[in-house]
Amino acid sequence: MKMAEKRPLDDTELDGLFAAARSTGPEPSGDLLARIMGDADAKTAAVTRVSRPEAGRDVVRARPGLLATLLGLIGGWPAAAGLMTATVAGLAIGLATPDTLDDLTGGVLTSVTGYELEDFMPSYGDLLEEG
Amino acid sequence: MALDALTDVSDEALLIAFGNGDAGAARALTLRLTPRVLGFASRMLGGDRAEAEDVAQEAMLRLWKVAGEWRQGEAKVTTWLYRVVSNLCTDRLRKARGVGIDQIPEPEDDAASAETGLQDKARAAALQGALDELPERQRQAVILRHIEGMANPDIAVVMDIGVEAVESLTARGKRALAAKLAGRRVELGYEDG
Repeated sequence: MKMAEKRPLDDTELDGLFAAARSTGPEPSGDLLARIMGDADAKTAAVTRVSRPEAGRDVVRARPGLLATLLGLIGGWPAAAGLMTATVAGLAIGLATPDTLDDLTGGVLTSVTGYELEDFMPSYGDLLEEG
Repeated sequence: MALDALTDVSDEALLIAFGNGDAGAARALTLRLTPRVLGFASRMLGGDRAEAEDVAQEAMLRLWKVAGEWRQGEAKVTTWLYRVVSNLCTDRLRKARGVGIDQIPEPEDDAASAETGLQDKARAAALQGALDELPERQRQAVILRHIEGMANPDIAVVMDIGVEAVESLTARGKRALAAKLAGRRVELGYEDG
């Protein structure tokens, strides 16, 4: 008797088997889900415990930025505030030129008499003439 | 945060949120990924439910551990997870080598009262039996491609091989399955040819 020839399954038939496998896949039990979530909770708790002291160390180790370095050089924020006050005051005085300031400086700052370049520079003209 | 509010959030975003201490993100990831991880492990391990559960729990534990260091865009969470499951299953299969197929417990028969449900179960069981007879790499490639529905480039990452090698493994695996199940058409509900 001739044996019936076995024709391999075609793609459509195989796809039917794959679809059946997908639809009958094992559903995780409540116990398994609880164990996995328990692991996650334990991990979260461990991270929380570890991260606090580490955060403290990070602050100590942190390299100061440019602003912090400059502030350190002049003595910190109080010194920076004083410096800023003096700068603003100087600017205001310069713009307003109050009368009291004029009195103190003997009218030099607001004098109508101008100064020429020769007033500030020594003249070497005599030396040139002789030489 | 309500779990249903997280359905549109990507696996990666949830993992990073968990890494930042969001327990709700871990619950959403557990519910989303555990069925896939368990299904893949179960198919790789010949339907051994207890072993598959152990693998699923271990894989998810490793996911929790890397959450804090996860770098955005570097890998797909599912691809990473399938790779871990794949390695865990390979280790267990190596240790269990020598254990006869008869000693591996049958998949549990949970529900399925409807006729279509029974047929699906019969088909899935026959497929699992044939998958178990394939060489491990072929079985892995076929499961990832045709049951888990992964793209070939992702399978290549999971299996640490090239895309062409994946194509070759899945093609040979499918041919082998088609030949192994050829004599069981009637049992599978197909017309005898």
